[in-house]
Amino acid sequence: MNYQVYNRDLCIGSIRVLGVTSSSVLMVGDTQTIQLAAAFDTPPESLLVGPFVPLTPE
Amino acid sequence: MLQRTSSVNRINIDTISFSSVFEIGDSCFIKGFSRAIANQREAEYFNAKEGNFSVYPVFRKPIPLIPIEEDISMQTAQLNPIIKVQNIDIIGVSASSVIHIGNSGDISMEARVKHIRQLYPKNNTSAIRP
Repeated sequence: MNYQVYNRDLCIGSIRVLGVTSSSVLMVGDTQTIQLAAAFDTPPESLLVGPFVPLTPE
Repeated sequence: MLQRTSSVNRINIDTISFSSVFEIGDSCFIKGFSRAIANQREAEYFNAKEGNFSVYPVFRKPIPLIPIEEDISMQTAQLNPIIKVQNIDIIGVSASSVIHIGNSGDISMEARVKHIRQLYPKNNTSAIRP
């Protein structure tokens, strides 16, 4: 594959962000490679109804 | 390859927490990792000695990455080698996140979260409240 990039003028006025979280990246610049992975688990079994049982100890 | 210069006139970050990084300048390699057990309870109940990552599969499961087999020839022409940003306003940066002004090489980030909610049974809240 042939991939050609022409970087012309790049000028940004304002960036407003509330939160950057869980291994996220906010970048002003160039990078060669970026690799992001996220696993989020909230299955039906994770909704526990009943008396509060402590989680598995440390 | 000639890289671009980042120019940020003003940046304001209110909070940086939990192993997050604010980097001004270039870097070669970034590897971020965060894991969390997020437990929401209907009432305040705290136990300092609970929570074990190893019992939840979400923290053990390998994340497969498909290798790039395609041969890519990339040419970049910097016609104006500057990235200008006037103003950046961020309220919070958390859980191994990165705010980076400048260039980097290889970035690899991973996050794993287990979310648990604990509620009282419906219509029967007074009986079992501690």
